Amino acid sequence: MDALDIRNLRKEFLFDGGRFPALKGITLSIPAGMFAVFVGKSGCGKTTLLRLVAGLEEPTEGTVGVRGGGAPLRTGIVFQEPRLFPWLTVEENIAFSYRSMGKRPTEETLSALIESLGLTAFRRAHPSRISGGMAQRASLGRTLLYDPDIILMDEPFSALDYFTRAALRDDLLHLWQERRKTVLFVTHDVDEALCLGQRIHVMDRGEVVRIFDVEDDYPRDIASMSGLKREILDAIGNGTCCGAHHAKEKAAEA
Amino acid sequence: MRRLSFFLPSFLLLLLWQAGSVFGWWNAFLLPSPQAVGETFLTLLLNGTLFRHLQASLGRVLVGTGLAFAAGFPLGVFFGLFPRGCAPFLPILDFFRHTPPLALIPLLILWLGIGEASKIAVIILASFFPVFLNTLGGVAACDRKLIEVGRSFGLSRGAIFRTILLPSIFPHVLTGMRLALGFGFRALIGAELVAAASGLGYMIHDAEMLSRSDAVIVGILAIGILGSLLDALVLKVSSRIAPWAFQEDDVHGRP
Ligand SMILES: Nc1ncnc2c1ncn2[C@@H]1O[C@H](COP(=O)(O)OP(=O)(O)O)[C@@H](O)[C@H]1O
Ligand SMILES: [Mg+2]
Repeated sequence: MDALDIRNLRKEFLFDGGRFPALKGITLSIPAGMFAVFVGKSGCGKTTLLRLVAGLEEPTEGTVGVRGGGAPLRTGIVFQEPRLFPWLTVEENIAFSYRSMGKRPTEETLSALIESLGLTAFRRAHPSRISGGMAQRASLGRTLLYDPDIILMDEPFSALDYFTRAALRDDLLHLWQERRKTVLFVTHDVDEALCLGQRIHVMDRGEVVRIFDVEDDYPRDIASMSGLKREILDAIGNGTCCGAHHAKEKAAEA
Repeated sequence: MRRLSFFLPSFLLLLLWQAGSVFGWWNAFLLPSPQAVGETFLTLLLNGTLFRHLQASLGRVLVGTGLAFAAGFPLGVFFGLFPRGCAPFLPILDFFRHTPPLALIPLLILWLGIGEASKIAVIILASFFPVFLNTLGGVAACDRKLIEVGRSFGLSRGAIFRTILLPSIFPHVLTGMRLALGFGFRALIGAELVAAASGLGYMIHDAEMLSRSDAVIVGILAIGILGSLLDALVLKVSSRIAPWAFQEDDVHGRP
């Protein structure tokens, strides 16, 4: 069964009186429980795709939905920055989806999640008191506790240092293997894509240009995947950049 | 030790005052000595006069700034949420912002009489804008990215307002309230020019009539110290209920 069904999804942004197509009609479906990765250069439309799936933007054309109708899609997004609420403690931030409805998660659920995120010692700390890696963990926990059908992650680890990034990647895999949620994970890092994706979508200038299914078991040995890496890099293309700012520059030159 | 050095400049100022009085650097009528002021202070304290005036003034400031908050806070939120619709009203508010409350006293007396109402109105006029403008600024500065987190969790507008907007403007509103209290105290003298029979402002006017500069200084000191204490109290209480607003900015460059 597919968790997500995207049809002819198109998104145009206005700039300087012109229209810039950030997504040029994407059609794809993701089976339930899949770890799907979207990789591509900056400006190719990855964030726009996730924001449309999350319902934070309206599509210019096309639809995002579950196949055959059904209940509306419940998505949860982990942004590139942790976006924690500075007035709440780590624990209160994680429980935000409950708090905002005036409820509380059971102490058991909350403690288990906080433990699995390695945040037990910092439960009652405010966000300004914890490291960037811990903040991003808390942000992930907040989305996990919301219990969405689909978890959307927009380069969640890209602002972190190498070691923290690797550790969080492992933690994420563990959490996913326990829960088998559908994940849409966006990155510009091909190694990260290879490490995580069951299906890797390569995006370029507002389109999904290639899709690779990766059967390898986790945890993966990236070194042994150099053939696939080569293919992905080729698919990404070697133009310097894409996107509206580039189009703007071109317009300025003309 | 830190506490002691904290009050060192105040102590030196006092010392200078004392020295000037002892060595006769100025006429004791223009600035009486600390002892003379201290004695007057004790007299006024012991016969209950000071306390009576203090109570009257404190009451007016609290009621005035309280009402200023009751008006300025919701208006600031409203103007912040609907900036376009509210823009045409800004010239009116700007006009009043630049009008000294004292200049309106004659009209206030005509409209409200010479009772408490016109005195409190002067304080409201002085303290409304800090609350209003800081609240407005807080709403404008509210991080859209945090609002978006609420949207991504499917929260209603009302829930986003309650759980994200209100807490995020708290530090701004607090600053507005502290400024408002300060403005309120400074407007006291003007407010109590209006046919008052009590209040520190009245006490100062009264002493002025009698050429009692020692009593004038007692009044000034009482207002300054009372204002500072109240501000410290507000800070203390709010750092208790919202400690996060007083932690220095994070070191991780997060929004
Ligand atoms: N709100 C917006 N207004 C105008 N242009 C936008 C907006 N959001 C994104 N874009 C443009 O759409 C393109 C795709 O952006 P984005 O989805 O953020 O790319 P990515 O996440 O892959 O780096 C970029 O060229 C960007 O400049
Ligand atoms: Mg992006």
